[in-house]
Amino acid sequence: MEQISYIKDQPNLDAVFAALADPTRRAIISKLASGDAAVGDLAQPFAMSQPAISKHLKVLEKAGLIERRVDKQKRLSHLKAEPMQAAVNWLEQYKEFWENSFDQLDTLLNELKMEEGEKPNE
Amino acid sequence: MSELPKLIIDREFKAAKSLVWKCWTQPELLARWYGPNVETVIHKFELEKGGEWLNEMRMEKGSMFSKAVFEEVMPEDLLSMLLSTTDEDWNIIASPMMPDWPATLLTIAEFEEVGGVTKLRFTWQPHNASDAEIAMFASMKDRMGGGWGMGFNLMDELLEELQA
Repeated sequence: MEQISYIKDQPNLDAVFAALADPTRRAIISKLASGDAAVGDLAQPFAMSQPAISKHLKVLEKAGLIERRVDKQKRLSHLKAEPMQAAVNWLEQYKEFWENSFDQLDTLLNELKMEEGEKPNE
Repeated sequence: MSELPKLIIDREFKAAKSLVWKCWTQPELLARWYGPNVETVIHKFELEKGGEWLNEMRMEKGSMFSKAVFEEVMPEDLLSMLLSTTDEDWNIIASPMMPDWPATLLTIAEFEEVGGVTKLRFTWQPHNASDAEIAMFASMKDRMGGGWGMGFNLMDELLEELQA
């Protein structure tokens, strides 16, 4: 089966957020992380009807988090993690921004302390 | 969920609290450390509740602008602000790197001095974000390692999957 995987532009994270706001959908994603699954397999742990699970799968699909295909008459869902990977990368960048700024603060504090040390009678 | 997810950085500086506070609140000093490896230009800095800190980070490819509105100013103890990315006219926009992310973050810096060492607790959390944005923030910060409260290992599993 052919699968083209690339990121054209920034994933639409608004849809990703909405998708992940629901605990059932988060659990579905967790399950798909260990491999593709059919609707019946996904419904079972939640004691939820297949139509109900399908509604959740549609939301996940619209968000670009899963893709679905038919294989031997089963509808299988496959996890695509790129949108969340992008978010994780950004969050780590943001944290790094502050950590690196604090490193610079550290350096500045040492410089200032040395300057103060040179003027004991200030 | 009544409590917003927070990201926390704890850091220590070998300096008196009064000096650390100066570095956070005097623009000439702030510009020297805020923004790693960029030129920081502070256009406005009003250290008072409701006051604004308008900041430009000049990089090779252009500038990034941000606006902080101070919430609480407790000299040498606590500084909190609502921090947002803006356009060059200081209008709030989503971060160009991450559209749909919470545009405004409540950022809190708390200072405590113990024996000549200043402890900083730096916290940030989404502000006025939608429930979906909050859930996303929570799931993201879990990936970054540990025990900050929402408790599911979604991202760890996902990233294992990506590397498989």
